[in-house]
Formats: sequence, structure tokens, C-alpha cells
Amino acid sequence: MESDSISHTSPPSASNCKDISRKKRVGTSLSCFHFHFRFLIFFIDVLFFVVDFQRSAKLKQCKLDARREQWLSQSAVKNKVCCKEGTNDGDSKQTQRGERDRSLENFEMRGTAEANGEVENVSVQHESDSESFPPNSHTSSSLLGGMDSGTSFTNSSSSSTSSGGCCSGSITEEEGGDGCLDDWEAVADALAADDDKQELDPNENNKENLCLGSTPGLEPNPQLGSNGEGSDLKNSEPECPRMVQRATGTCRAWRADDTFRPQTLPNLSKQRSFPATDRRFGQGGVSWMRNSAFSVPSSCPICYEDLDFTDSSFLPCLCGFRLCLFCHKRILEEDGRCPGCRKPYENDPVEAEASVQGGSLTTRLLARSCSMIARS
Amino acid sequence: MQASRARLFKEYKEVQREKTADPDIQLVCDDSNIFKWTALIKGPSETPYEGGVFQLAFAVPEQYPLQPPQVRFLTKIFHPNVHFKTGEICLDILKNAWSPAWTLQSVCRAIIALMAHPEPDSPLNCDSGNLLRSGDMRGFQSMARMYTRLAAMPKKG
Repeated sequence: MESDSISHTSPPSASNCKDISRKKRVGTSLSCFHFHFRFLIFFIDVLFFVVDFQRSAKLKQCKLDARREQWLSQSAVKNKVCCKEGTNDGDSKQTQRGERDRSLENFEMRGTAEANGEVENVSVQHESDSESFPPNSHTSSSLLGGMDSGTSFTNSSSSSTSSGGCCSGSITEEEGGDGCLDDWEAVADALAADDDKQELDPNENNKENLCLGSTPGLEPNPQLGSNGEGSDLKNSEPECPRMVQRATGTCRAWRADDTFRPQTLPNLSKQRSFPATDRRFGQGGVSWMRNSAFSVPSSCPICYEDLDFTDSSFLPCLCGFRLCLFCHKRILEEDGRCPGCRKPYENDPVEAEASVQGGSLTTRLLARSCSMIARS
Repeated sequence: MQASRARLFKEYKEVQREKTADPDIQLVCDDSNIFKWTALIKGPSETPYEGGVFQLAFAVPEQYPLQPPQVRFLTKIFHPNVHFKTGEICLDILKNAWSPAWTLQSVCRAIIALMAHPEPDSPLNCDSGNLLRSGDMRGFQSMARMYTRLAAMPKKG
């Protein structure tokens, strides 16, 4: 079944990797074997028929025996070789398939070779892309990290150009990996959409594998870091849809940003994650201290429902009174006072930060200063 | 509606679980209506209400806990902040100082505290308030004790 579906996907893509072709070969050889077995039985029947009616022609029978032997051996060889030459329609179809497999392999090899050859070009191109494409992450990171992050960025880009060779090696390794089997359909669709980018497709596949393989939590994505930092700075207002969006955004950024993430990322993360992680650890420590100081309740004191992770990290009031997001919303709709201290909630700064969340630090600071002014 | 019901159900379970936690308060829910509660509270010691058992009626609104429950004394009580005839209670947490963090149990505790510390400056029972404001502690205490004995103590014999 699988081999059929593969063969029906119209343009044989370069990203169909060795595993698929291997699988296909196994499938075709199986069907080939089946066919030959049946043909053999039929042949033997015919043989006995001939033997019954032409007993006198023993010489012919000897010949037939010889031919049978020959045929048997030939078919055995064919079974091994996976039906390279066909004798009838089914065989010819299967040979086409086999040839396609081989051509696929060749093309794939060529593709990887091209990828190896074009590593530097691609990396350069993607650097220009990354410089132009996601302005948010870079501006925010540079703003957050100050001068250091700027230098780190240039460093990382230069290292990415220099370390192209190693990258190609990793790509060829990844090609044979199992991860590509998971989303070969998606890759095939993407390939069907545009045939122009076929040289980049091994890289695409590689990227997909990396995306799948690396856990999002451990993924040292600069954009994720900056966003996470923003949320930590806010220290509240966690929303599931936004988190999901953020996750997909990082995935997209990962894909569009750079094909050679595995090489450049360590540098980038090393440079960027030092202040980021420090800050995050500091924030975490502070929030943890706060939690321990105010002893986070396991359930919302208003509705008595259990607090989930987002609720327990939600601190709407300076007095430290915690409640779930639903109750907070209901209270905001009613009288808008904190149940703990009975002071009106200052929901404006939180919302302003939420709206600016994706933006740069300056706007966030601006919003905060605005809210400070409004408060005073 | 649904939130208040869920909250009240949780409170009910909490009350059932910690029945012996506060011996001065006995909070029971109406069998057919979870928005109707009654409470029996013991008069605090070293007050004229000592030895008496006072019955409270809770009418919980559907917006609970965002809106406070309406509480009144069913048992007659001579107290400056309790209306002598209707049993209405003048307590800030049952009016504008209400917080959703309060529970029916904590309201009962607040009412016990109010019994021990009357606020004569905002009286609902003017006679009682006037006695206290004029400094007639003896008159106030004897009146309160009398009504406690009359209304809040089980009839002897």
C-alpha cells in the first residue's frame, strides 16, 4: 500500500529519502516474488500437460526441463534483483517503479551533492533572509542584550558561513534518519507546490527532522528566549492561545530563519542565553520566592477549582492574592477589586503589555511608563 | 449561576469535612436549595451572649461569591448592629467590604466577632446603641443577657 501511494504522488521528489526508496524496493520485490510464484505454478501445469500429450518427444522434455531449470534460476535471480527486466505488463510497470526508485536515489544523491556544494551560498542567502525577515526577534534581542547581542549576531553569522562543510555532513546523516518518514507527505506536498526549490529540499527535510527531534523546551531559540523573557517580565497574563501561537511562531522562525540552525544555534544561544537565562533564573527565583512567601494555593479561593499551571503563575495584584483567570475575569466584569486587598485591579498595564508582547522592549517600557503615569 | 452552585457545593463539602474544626459554628444547607443555608452559632464567651445559640439565615445570591450573601438573625438578639425586629445585620463585609474570598463559614466567624465587639456608632438597634454610647455598660449587658436567655437558650424544664 505504502509503495503504491508513494508512486502515485506525482512528481518524484528529491526529498524522498533512502528509507522510502528502500521500503518501496521491499514492496516491489514482494509483489514481484508473488507474481513470479504464480507464473511458475502455471508454467509447471503447462509443462505437465505437454508431458502427458507428447510422451514420445523426450528430447523436447529434456529441453523443457532444462528451460524450467533455467527459468527457475532466472526467476530466483529476478526476485533478488527486484525485477529489473520485465516480461509482461505488470513487470514493466514494476520496472518503471524500480527505475524511478533508482532515479530517485540518483536524484536524491545529486540533491545532497548540490546541497553540499551550495552550502555556503544557501547559508549566505539565509543570512540575508534572516537579517531582513524577522525584524522582531532581532530588534528585541538587540535591545535586550544591548551591544553584546549585536556583536554576537555578527559572530554567529560568520561562524555559520565558515562551518558549512560540517553542516553538509550532518545533513547527509540526517537524510537516512527515521524522522523524515514522519512527515514525508508534507514534504512531498511542499515539493509538488514548487519544483524550483528542489535543491533546498534536503535541507528542508533536514530542518523538519530537527524541528521534530528537538524538544521545544530545550530549543534555544532566540525568539523564544526573548518572548519568554517578556512573559517573565510581565510575570502574569498567561494565555493558552498565545502560548500556542508563540510555539508555532518559533517553529516558523526556525524554519525560515536559517537552514543551518544546528551549527549557528549553539553560538547564538551561547551568546544570547547567558543574559536571558540569568534573567530568567532570577525571575524564576523571585517568583518562586514569592510563591513560597504567599504559599500558592492549590485551588482558586473564589471558585475552589484547582489552579493549573497558568493560573498558579498568574499574579494579578501586588498584594499576592492569587485566583484563577476565570474568576479574575468575572471580577473585572463586576467590581474589579482584588478579593485579597479590596483594591481595584490595575488591569491596564497588564493588558498594554499583552498587546505589545510581540513587540520590542521600548514599546513595552513605554506602555509601562504610561501606566505608571496613569497610576500616579 | 453554575459557578455559584459549584462554589457552594465545594463549600458544603468543606463544611462536612471540617465539621469539628470550629465548634462554635454549625453550618447546614437546606435540603432542597443549595442557595438557602442556616447556621447555628454560639454566643462568644465573656459577653452577654454567652451560653446562647443563635440561628442565622443565609440567602445566597446567584452572583455569589461576587455578591455577598444576605444574612440575618432568626434568633432575637439585643445588639446595636442587629435590627431587633428583622434580624438584619449591619456589617461592612456583608455590604461594600465584601470580598469573594470570604466564605459562609468566615461570614459566621465575622458575625461572632461582631457580637463580641459591637459598633455603637452605626446602630441598627438604636436603644442598644444609645446604651453603649452613653456608657451604660451595665444596662446594655443586662438587656442583652436577658434577651439571650429569653430567645437563645433552650427552655429549661
